[in-house]
Amino acid sequence: MDGYLVGVFSNIGIISFLAVSAYVLLLAGEVSFGQQAFFAIGAYAAGMGTAMMRWPLAPALLLGASAGALAAAALGRATLRLSGLHFAIATLAFAEMVRIVFELFTWQIDIGGTLVGPNGTNGFGDIRYLFENEITPAEYLCAIYLLLALVLAVLMVLDRSRFGRALRQAGVDPVLAELQGVPVVRMRLVAAAAAGALAGLGGGLYAHLLTYVEPRNFDVMLGVHSLAYGLIGGLGTAIGPVVGVLIDIGLLESSRLFVGYRMIVFGGLVALLLIVRPRGLLDERTVHWLTTRVRDLIDAAAARRRDHPLRRR
Amino acid sequence: MSNLTIDLVQNTIDGVMVGSSYALLALGFTLIFGTMRRLNLAYGPTIMAGAYLGAYAFLHLGIGAFPVAVLVLVGAALAGLYVERLCFRPFAQTAAMASMVSSFAVWMQIEEAASLALPRHLNVFPALVSGSLGLGPLFVRLDHVLMLVIAAAATLVVHWALYRTRFGLGVRTVIDHRRAAALVGVPVRRILLLAFVLASAVGGLAGFLIAASEAQITPMFGMWATTKGLIAMMLGGLGSVPGALVGGLTLGIIEAQAQWLLGPHLRDLVAWGVLFAVLALWPGGLMGAAAVDDATAVQRRV
Amino acid sequence: MLEIADVATSYGKIEALKGVSLGVAKGRVTCLLGPNGAGKSTLMLTIAGILKPRRGSVRLDSHEISGLSSAKIVARGLALVPENRLVFPQMSVKENLAAGAYQRRDASGIAEDVERMYSRFPRLAERRDQLAGTLSGGEQQMLAVARALMSRPRILLMDEPSLGLAPMLVEEVFRIVADLNREGVTIFLVEQNAHMALKVAHHFYLLEQGLVTFSGEPGKFAEDEVIQRAYLGRRRTEA
Repeated sequence: MDGYLVGVFSNIGIISFLAVSAYVLLLAGEVSFGQQAFFAIGAYAAGMGTAMMRWPLAPALLLGASAGALAAAALGRATLRLSGLHFAIATLAFAEMVRIVFELFTWQIDIGGTLVGPNGTNGFGDIRYLFENEITPAEYLCAIYLLLALVLAVLMVLDRSRFGRALRQAGVDPVLAELQGVPVVRMRLVAAAAAGALAGLGGGLYAHLLTYVEPRNFDVMLGVHSLAYGLIGGLGTAIGPVVGVLIDIGLLESSRLFVGYRMIVFGGLVALLLIVRPRGLLDERTVHWLTTRVRDLIDAAAARRRDHPLRRR
Repeated sequence: MSNLTIDLVQNTIDGVMVGSSYALLALGFTLIFGTMRRLNLAYGPTIMAGAYLGAYAFLHLGIGAFPVAVLVLVGAALAGLYVERLCFRPFAQTAAMASMVSSFAVWMQIEEAASLALPRHLNVFPALVSGSLGLGPLFVRLDHVLMLVIAAAATLVVHWALYRTRFGLGVRTVIDHRRAAALVGVPVRRILLLAFVLASAVGGLAGFLIAASEAQITPMFGMWATTKGLIAMMLGGLGSVPGALVGGLTLGIIEAQAQWLLGPHLRDLVAWGVLFAVLALWPGGLMGAAAVDDATAVQRRV
Repeated sequence: MLEIADVATSYGKIEALKGVSLGVAKGRVTCLLGPNGAGKSTLMLTIAGILKPRRGSVRLDSHEISGLSSAKIVARGLALVPENRLVFPQMSVKENLAAGAYQRRDASGIAEDVERMYSRFPRLAERRDQLAGTLSGGEQQMLAVARALMSRPRILLMDEPSLGLAPMLVEEVFRIVADLNREGVTIFLVEQNAHMALKVAHHFYLLEQGLVTFSGEPGKFAEDEVIQRAYLGRRRTEA
């Protein structure tokens, strides 16, 4: 695989964490314009872990994810009373505040003669763990997708579990869910923390891929995009947001057709898609249809094996 | 008067001047939110579309400030029509998220179209009058005064439209209770479209005033206008028309004081911080307590 | 005056009306009885143009109105006083009445009618500047009726006007129904309160599970059984 493709797919994989993060909150019934804040926090925390504290990558990523989770839980507690649009705007306000704080945040230490660390608007560079440890882009790509696959597997299992159903219930009708014994507030906080951890993990991976991050990367656009991915790819399954990212980054990067007016075409397509599929490509109905089809196929194959005339009883 | 007082008063005056435009932005945003019950992420960009149309004509045809203003309003209204038809009309009440993401997609479209039309980052925009007025130790820019006067006039026109015309009655019934409005014979779909276009035109006027006071326009304008309009609207209270005015002026004053005290960076931090605090502590905003329950009950449907 | 033939309306996959046919005679009071969930409100909303039927026709004075927008239907002389009143909570009594006359352009006629409403409903006159959301249940019901009358409808649909009202107010509501009918307004009334309804109705229908199961005139059949079914629905043991 050539370097360019590796780069594109690494990007897709990392942004998927962000998209899935927004998706988890959407399931809980909350619209968040602020997941990019936890992405940023994860990026800076993990970067500081490897570049300044000389930690290995894994604990640094864990640090990033934890920082994201903590920040998200804190925000969740502060916005407990809010829902709907008020919550969404509060998350936006929070994310912009975080971004501006990073623009003012400077903390550099001397590592072997050079100053390393976040430097306000100049960003945070020299996150060179991958180079220093001779991890190739291809290897990193595998690591990213292994992590992503793990996350998706866990989410898909949870989705089918009682927890997942309760979460979706709480999202669709909190009052009814509460009456049915679902601890809505606690679930929202758990979902928020989990989403924050996912975004933080993605941010940590991002920082190491790019080796340099600056506050400008983590703006409102990124946040709204992450929300859009879920809506485009579909809210029926955790794979949905990943599909959304694939479509956005993948198609746009690969199509040299509409250079100059890609966004006009893409934007129009998205708007039209949403009219036909308001809950995305892989919406709940489609996922249900697909899973029953697959189940039917499996049953049919099993039945054929059972009833085969030559089969010994 | 002490120097501190002079500065505070000066900032307040400046804040009110700019705040009047924020109030217009918030007014348009509120009209759309009040009728549609969902967020139009393409609001700032539709204003930018109008502003870019005006800037384009200014650059290539050399027309004056007033014709530019007309073009800006018309451009914004047409862009608003496009957004309403594509991003709002086709979606049922329960598909609020899809509507919002669709408006985001159009935001992207308009931003790209704008940079195609005027590829440079900084683009010239006709200024209004120049010069300033001295009032003792204070001074006021003349174009700011003009901005305030025009914004106030526009607000009065909108108020008249809402409270003294049949159209306005229709809009208010749709905002208050959409189904009841349909039952009394209000043509809901048509009112929604007209209110949307009117709101976009109001926003367009705000955009013209702001761009003219800066004498320039950049592609960042779309997002900027959406942000300011949103903050001002939420400060004053979601879906409340008087709230939009209060929120806009408040935001202007807060920004002016914060900028003078802390510099431009922290000014934005303060603005967002105040918004966050207001949301966390008084979700109904400074004016609109009743608006909360209704909006949240509706917005719960993702 | 109002002819409904084989109307079927669904909410998503749920078929609320399965093929309803009935007629409302001009100048009379027709009543639709039925248990909760039978589809009575759905039928009213379908006639008023808020809901679109899957099939069937709704004809007002021989003109097809199904498929028309609710605004056009009001213009044709049909007004609905909805279940739960649905007044405009943030608007004053005066403005609610003005809204009721939205389709009309004759300012002096509208002003006259407003005064007429005030004399017919004195409590509304007292509270003319009060926000409708702060009115009591009975006052809101008066307002909802007055608002519907502002469009000078030839046929008035009323969906459970006595719901949630104290007995004295219930009597007042039915008195108003009788008065209006005497003045020439055709009335199509949905009611759970079968006792009172059968006193004012000239004809009634029983709606059960989306279908009309009974049609008749008060005094000409076994009222007890019908009333029981109106309140409780058909018992499952019956065929």
